[in-house]
Formats: sequence, C-alpha cells, structure tokens
Amino acid sequence: MIKITNLEKFYRTEEVETIALNKLSMEVNTGEFVAIMGPSGCGKSTLLNILGMLDDPDEGSYVFNGVEIAHFNERKRADLRKHNIGFVFQSFNLIDELTVFENVELPLIYTGVSSSERVKRVEEVLDKMQIMHRRNHYPQQLSGGQQQRVAIARAVVNKPKLILADEPTGNLDSSNGNDVMELLTDLNEQGTTIIMVTHSEHDARYSHRIIRLLDGQTVMENIMV
Amino acid sequence: MFKNYLKTAFRSISKNKSFTLINILGLALGLTTCLFIVFYVVDELSYDRYNINANRIFRVNEDLKLGDNSVQYAVAMPPLAKTLKAEYPYVEDAVRIKNAGATHVKKNNVNIIENRLAFADASLFNVFTLPMISGDPKTALNEPNSVVVTESTAKKYFNTINVLGKVIVFNDHENFKVTGVIKDIPNQSHFNFDFFLSMESFPDSRSNEWLRSDYNTYVLLRNKADSKKLEASFPNLLEKFSGDQMKSELKMSIKEFEKSGSYFRLNLMPLTDIHLKSTLTGELGANSSVQYVYIFSAIALFILLIACVNFMNLSTARSSNRAREVGVRKVLGSPRKYLIAQFLCESILLTFFATLIALLAAIILLPLFNQVSGKEIAITAQSLIWLTPLALAIILIIGSLAGSYPAFFLSAFQPIDVLKGKLATGFKGGMLRNFLVVFQFAISIFLIIGTLVIYNQLNYIQTKNLGYDRNQVLVVKNAFELKDEASVFKQSLTQLPGVVNATMTGFLPTSGWRNTRIYFKDANLSQKESMFPQSWEVDADYIPTLNMKIVAGRNFSKDISSDTSGIILNQAAAKFFGFKDPINKTIYQSKGGDSKGERNVNDYHIIGIVQDFNFNSLHEKIEPMVMTYGHNSGAVSIRVGTSKIPALLAQIKAKWKAVSPNVEMDYSFMDQDFDASYRSEQMIGTIFIIFTALAIIIACLGLFGLAAFAAEQRTKEIGIRKILGANIGAIIGMLSKDFIKLVLIAIVISSPLAWYLMHLWLQDFAYRINISWWVFAVAGLAATTVAVLTISFQSVKAALANPVKSLRSE
Ligand SMILES: Nc1ncnc2c1ncn2[C@@H]1O[C@H](COP(=O)(O)OP(=O)(O)O)[C@@H](O)[C@H]1O
Ligand SMILES: [Mg+2]
Repeated sequence: MIKITNLEKFYRTEEVETIALNKLSMEVNTGEFVAIMGPSGCGKSTLLNILGMLDDPDEGSYVFNGVEIAHFNERKRADLRKHNIGFVFQSFNLIDELTVFENVELPLIYTGVSSSERVKRVEEVLDKMQIMHRRNHYPQQLSGGQQQRVAIARAVVNKPKLILADEPTGNLDSSNGNDVMELLTDLNEQGTTIIMVTHSEHDARYSHRIIRLLDGQTVMENIMV
Repeated sequence: MFKNYLKTAFRSISKNKSFTLINILGLALGLTTCLFIVFYVVDELSYDRYNINANRIFRVNEDLKLGDNSVQYAVAMPPLAKTLKAEYPYVEDAVRIKNAGATHVKKNNVNIIENRLAFADASLFNVFTLPMISGDPKTALNEPNSVVVTESTAKKYFNTINVLGKVIVFNDHENFKVTGVIKDIPNQSHFNFDFFLSMESFPDSRSNEWLRSDYNTYVLLRNKADSKKLEASFPNLLEKFSGDQMKSELKMSIKEFEKSGSYFRLNLMPLTDIHLKSTLTGELGANSSVQYVYIFSAIALFILLIACVNFMNLSTARSSNRAREVGVRKVLGSPRKYLIAQFLCESILLTFFATLIALLAAIILLPLFNQVSGKEIAITAQSLIWLTPLALAIILIIGSLAGSYPAFFLSAFQPIDVLKGKLATGFKGGMLRNFLVVFQFAISIFLIIGTLVIYNQLNYIQTKNLGYDRNQVLVVKNAFELKDEASVFKQSLTQLPGVVNATMTGFLPTSGWRNTRIYFKDANLSQKESMFPQSWEVDADYIPTLNMKIVAGRNFSKDISSDTSGIILNQAAAKFFGFKDPINKTIYQSKGGDSKGERNVNDYHIIGIVQDFNFNSLHEKIEPMVMTYGHNSGAVSIRVGTSKIPALLAQIKAKWKAVSPNVEMDYSFMDQDFDASYRSEQMIGTIFIIFTALAIIIACLGLFGLAAFAAEQRTKEIGIRKILGANIGAIIGMLSKDFIKLVLIAIVISSPLAWYLMHLWLQDFAYRINISWWVFAVAGLAATTVAVLTISFQSVKAALANPVKSLRSE
C-alpha cells in the first residue's frame, strides 16, 4: 500500500537547518498494523504527516497504492486524503464548538455524502464506539477516553483504507488507553491498515511490526509474533 | 505605580504592532472626521456672535398675508427704524441696511463691478460691532455722499489704508468721500459688505410709506429689555402709523383689512438666529440651514461611535488572547484593581496617539476641507482655547469608555477557568461584539443609502424638465447699463449667425429680478379673489428664446398693439383664478396712489397660458406667475445655436463695445446659474459621500481586525477541518458566514430607518424622487461586498495556511 524511498524533509528556521527525515525508506502493506517508535524529536510526527499527505517531502519518492504522489499539489493530495485516510491525534483535535455528532459528521460533509446517509453512518459508528448516548454533548463535556473514541469514530466514519494515529493514548490513563488500542486492533482485523506513533512499548505490542526511528533514520525493525 | 502601568502598556502595545496600528488608525480617522465636523458646526453656530451686543440685537421681519397669498419678509417699512427709536425708550438704537446691488466702482480709469455695497444708517456702528481703524464711527455715515470701506477694499482701490478724505466714484458719476475704514467683516456674518454708503445719499430712505417693506431693519434693545414686550406692541404701532395710509390707498381700515382674512404683522428675530433659521424674502445674503448642523452633528457622532466601537471590539477580541496572561497574573496575586488600571492605561495611551494623529491630520487637511465645504476655517490661537480641552476630553472619555469593557471583562475572569482554557470559546460567544458589528454596519449602510438618495435627487434636479431650456443660453447680466441702447444691442445680436433668438428682460427663471404684484379677479378689487403672483415684464421673444410652451392662446406679438395690456398666465395662475376658459378674460390691478374720481384700476386681458416652469428652486412648488408685455432692459438672454461659443462670444462682446465702450459686459450661462443655485445641495452630497466613505473605511478596519482575530482564534479548528478534507472555499465560507450574517442583520435594521429619514429630507423638495427599492439593494450589496472582501483577505490567509503548523502550535 505504501512505499517510501529515500524520503527527506528539512526545516529551515533562520540559520538553523533541521533534518527531520534523512533518506528514510520503508514499506507498509495493506492490512498491516505498524507502530513507529523513537525518542522525542526524531521525526515521527513529520513522517506521519507526510504519509498522511498533510505535508510534502523535500526529496524522495512516496508511492501510495501504486501512484507516485511526492509531487502532488495540495489540492490533489487533499482529494486523495479525504477518501483514503483517517487521523487520530494525541490531543484529540475535536472542534469545541461542534457536538459529538457534528464532529463525526464532518468528513462525510467534505466528501459530499448525502445528509440521510450521513446520519445513518454517524449513528452506526457512534454505536460501535459506544458513545451513542453522548451524541449531543460537546467535547468539553466528555472525559479524555470518550473524546478519543469520538476522534476515532471521526477517523473511521469515512471507511478509510489507512488510519494514522499520532500517540493516540498519550493523553489517556492506562485503562482508557487499552480501550483505544482494542478499538484500533478491531479496525485492523476488519481490514484497515494502521500506522501508529507511540512512546509506549505496551501499546506497540498490539501491532504487527515496530519501526524504530533515530534522527530521521530507521534504526531497527521488529516483527511481532 | 503609574510609571509601571505606562511601561507595561507601552510593551503590550508594541508587542501587537498590527493590532495597535489598526486600532490607532481607525480611531484617528474617526476623530479627524469628527474634528472637521466640529469645526464646521462651531463655525455655523458662531455666526454674528462677533457682535458684542449680539444677544440684544433683533431684526424686524414682516409677515404679509393677502387673501390666499402669504409672504414673509426679512425687510420692513422705510420709516420703521426711526419710529421704533423715537417711540420706545428701551430701544437703544435702530439701523437700516439696504443692499445697493451691483455698482460700478472706478479704480484709476477702469470701472469694476462690485456687488457688496449697502446703504446704512449712521447708527450702524452703534448697533453692530464693526471696529473702525480710522475715522469716527459716531459721524462717519452722517453726511450724504459718505462711504465707509473695509480695510481690504481700501487696499484694493488705493493700495493703502490711509484713505480718509479720498474720493470714490460710483457708477461713473457719483462722488463719495471716504469717511472711515473698518476692519474686514468676519466671514461669520449674515451680511458681508465692502462699502457702506451713508443712507442720507439714498433719497428713498426718507420715504414715509408704511405699506411697503424694503429695508432690512435691526434694533438694539437696552440691557434687560424684553423683546416679547416690544413685539406685543407692534399691532398698536402699525395701527397708529399705517392706519391712515391704509385708508387712503386700500379704502379700508386695518380692522377691515384683517377681517377680509389678510394681515401684515411685524416680529422680531434674534440676530443669532438669522444665519441658521432664516430664509425669508429680502435677506441680505444666502443663509444656511440649521438642518445641516443637525445632520452633520449626527454623522459626527455616528462616526465617532463607529470608531469607538472598533476600538472596543478589537480590544475585547484580543482579550481572549490575553486571557491566559490575565489568568497567570491573577494566580500570582494581582488584584483586580491593578488589572483594570492596566487595561485603561493602555486604552488611554492608544487614544492619546490617535488624537495626536487626528489633530495633525485635521491641520494638514483643513485647506481641502475648506475647499469642499466652501468655508474659510482657520485654526488660530483662539481655536486652541476650545480645542485643547476638547482633545483632553476625547482622550480621557473615549480612552476610558473604549477601554472599560475589555478592562472589566478581562479582569473579571476567574483565573482557574482561564488556565483550564474555558475562554477559548470566547470569540463565538461575543454577543456584545456581534451587536457592535451590526451597529457599525447599520450606520454605514444608512450612510450609503443617504448618499444614493441625495445623488438621485440631485440628478433628478439636473435632468428634470423645468418647462424651459436652460442649455445654450447666454445671459448678458448688465444690459441695464446700456439704458436706451439696450434695444439696439439686442437687435444687433439677432443678426449674428450663431444666435437663434434673443430676449430682453431682467426677469429670468434662474436668477435676476423678481416682482410681485396684486391682481384681482373683479374690477372692485375684492381681496377675496386676489392673487399675489410674480409679475414679469417680458418681450415677444421671451417664450421662444427660452423654449417655453404656450398651452393655450398665443404669445405676445409686436404687431398687435392691444398686447400692451395683454397678459400671459402660467398654469398655476390660471388654476388659482379658477377660469374655465381663461383666454380673453380680464384681470385687474390697482394703480394705487390717489383716488380723484378716476378709475383706479388697470385691466389686463389674458391672451395666453404658458406651461408651468420652475422659476424658483425645486424646493418650492411652482407658484402663480404672470407675464406682461413691456420694455425691461435688465438683461439680454441669447439662445445660441452654435458649438463655437468662444467665437460667438467675441462677436457679442464686439457688439457690446460698439454701444458701450466704457463698461465691461457681465455675462454668464443660464445652466451654470442654475447649477449655482443648488450648490449647497451639491456640497451636502459631496460631504455625505466623503463621510460615508470614511465610515465604511473605519467599519472595515474594525472588521478586518476582527476577522484576523476570528481566524487566529479558529486556527486549530481550521487545521482540523482541512485535515478532514475541507477545501479552501469551504474554510473561507465558514469564516465569512458569521460576519456576513451580521452585515445582513445590519441591512435589515438600517433600511427602514434610512428610508424614513431620507423620506423626511426629500419632503423639503416640492419636486422629488421616490426612493426606489434598488437603492436598498445597492447599499446592501455594496456593504456586503466590502465586508466580504475585507474578511476574505484574512480568511484566505487562514485557509491557505498549512494545517500541520496550526495544529503544532496547540
Ligand atoms: N514546523 C517545524 N519547523 C521547524 N522545525 C520543525 C518543525 N516541525 C518539526 N521540526 C523539527 O523536526 C524534528 C522532528 O520533529 P517531529 O517530527 O515533530 O518529532 P517527533 O518525533 O517528536 O514527533 C524536530 O527536531 C523538530 O524540532
Ligand atoms: Mg510528535
């Protein structure tokens, strides 16, 4: 599904140039559950953003489903993104002004799904995440675990092929964290490819494979059994 | 402590440079506009107050009603002034001023036409404060053929102000001795003359007629004298002095006269009311209207409000960004008082800068303003006397008003909420802020509608069919100076190839002479069926030259000798008399004077009806008017049939020279005279458009700032939405929607209000447009467009930003 080769990303701030990704190559197959680990600042988020087509690489190749997209412009990337990729963030990134239902509904609006279909799909996914009873609440009124479940609901409502999760349990206690990991595992078992950044060895164990990064380079890959 | 506030304020201000700039500029713009309006209003209100005794001086006006006609005069009877002084001990003095009209004044050997001359009684300098530089104010105007001139006039004619005893020649043969030089009369005076000729030089001034009014008459009452008491005694005074003349001329007593529904009354108008409240017949100059003082004051207030609202809005919008700072300060133990003082200090400091900029801008732009408004305002040491406290008041009042909301709002935050981020939603909840935006735009839209209506009305005035054709008409205004040669001159013009037609009379629809006479429907001169129309002497070429239309009967003809007693009525006059078929009917006019048995009336038989044409401004309905056939050499009007005006003008001037080598021809074009009579409306239109533009700019500055804050506040949301697939259009739409909603609400609120007020304004015109729906559509569209453009500048920026970056900053 994903094949990146010699990917490079630099950040220039005034005189300092940071190499966030340094000739990074890797491959992720459809249906895999991959964990990315590494110390703070090693380029995990940068990688995830590029994989999620939120950002473009400076050098190298990125083939998604057989299409080279490294040179795609913002518009084409956005188009590809909204149909194929769901995001889950450490800080949930729910919109405070919208209710749970409206938050989950957003991706469907942007992909032009009809409103009756939207209601059906949102309710379906809220049911699955067991937050149906909270549909009219605002994010501020929910606990962290509930918020993250809403965020996952929002990520999967469009039935994406790939879910990118940046430290999804980082702001949660261990019990809530485990719930979230169970949810992701379920999704993976139903066929969704998952790439997750995490600091937790415990969470990483849910994955099939761990990619360890250091200073923007792969240092090691462990295959989980 | 204060120094500390100031230091922190300075830092906070310079930390947010663009915010500060928008805030200061918006306020400065508003203040500058206000200052100009204040200048204007102060100037308007200061008229005639240069007179030390201003509040003891009154003008005597006359109200006349004859049958269904009524006229209000700014003039009174020739003997009134001296009678008042003689009869009432509490009348300290009285003075008459009589406009002398256009006069030739000789400088070296050239005659210059001057318009600012007046005859005045010797008491002029007792009543009005016209400081004399040289000469004796007590005696200067005592003798016949004395003249007092202003300083600049002395310089103009003699290059010096030491002119006592010198001789000035008027109209080529009247020698006057200069007996005094006064300082130039201030602009803020309802009359403004360069020459005062002694009343004694004007024989008519000794007239004892009580049944005519043609002298502007002013009285100076003694200290504490009651003007109401004087006014109350006027009926008896008139009875005593005019009763006999009434009996001999009109064959009735004043009582009978009043019984027939007519009257003539005198009243007093305070000197200081004249400039703003008086538009009577026989004014000494064009006056202004208090209406404009009100309108402009209201606009000034509005603009100031818009600017203040901006100030508050931007400050509160920013407050949510500063909430964290306030929270931390509070956690660290800062008392609320300190925080309030801190915010107020910042706000006052900003206002101080804005006021400074506004003052500078006002001083720099003053000449421009004078040009537009037709005023001659100057900032002098004297204006500083009121300007300085005003500026201080502005700084303190506006500074603390505008600063108070953010100050109290912010300082009331509970630190725990702030730190928990509960105020992050502050932007959307800003009801007050929404209300203020609506308010600003409602005013802007109101001003746009006002401007559109004014311009439509002016355009209507320009294009309305007035019943005569003012284009391509050249008016030779001083034909009267040709005396008997005038006819020769007119005749010689008709032979020129570019001249279509020419007519000789001083009575013209755009300017010139006016004459009212009484006509009666029956030969017994019954008051009941009398009419008081304009009565103009014209020749047979008048109607064709001005392209007027005869709707019944015929024009005057040179070949029909009985036309000398023929008369042409306009439709209004025909309707007034109520003739079914007016042609060949007769109307009558009193000859006045003696009654030695002979028939005391002139008969006029109606030969034609001319279509109504506007001879007064469009403010007034077309009144009855009649034309009689006669010789009046006041002016010669020429219909021109060529585009080569300069060449033709040269030929006309040559013809003039042939009959009058010593006098310059004075001419103008009728369409320009027409435009000149709407100059005040034009000026109002221009001023309105400027204020509207300013109001919109200020409102948009505020909107710009608010949109920036909205976008900043919602960076995170925008980022999330973009990640979820929102395109740029959707983001811009989302950010603009809230503001557009507010603008739409503003349209709904201001449209009916604007309709009502502009409707009132239009009532002042007898001939006016209807306010059509598209005015509102255009105003709404304009405001929305400007708002969208302003907002989208910010929204596009926000929408284009990389979502990863906006989420990182969280
Ligand atoms: N927008 C940016 N500007 C400058 N430097 C950045 C930016 N984003 C990331 N970096 C730098 O790139 C490196 C990798 O960052 P990131 O991918 O966020 O690390 P992490 O592995 O902690 O997620 C870090 O050194 C970080 O400082
Ligand atoms: Mg990271």
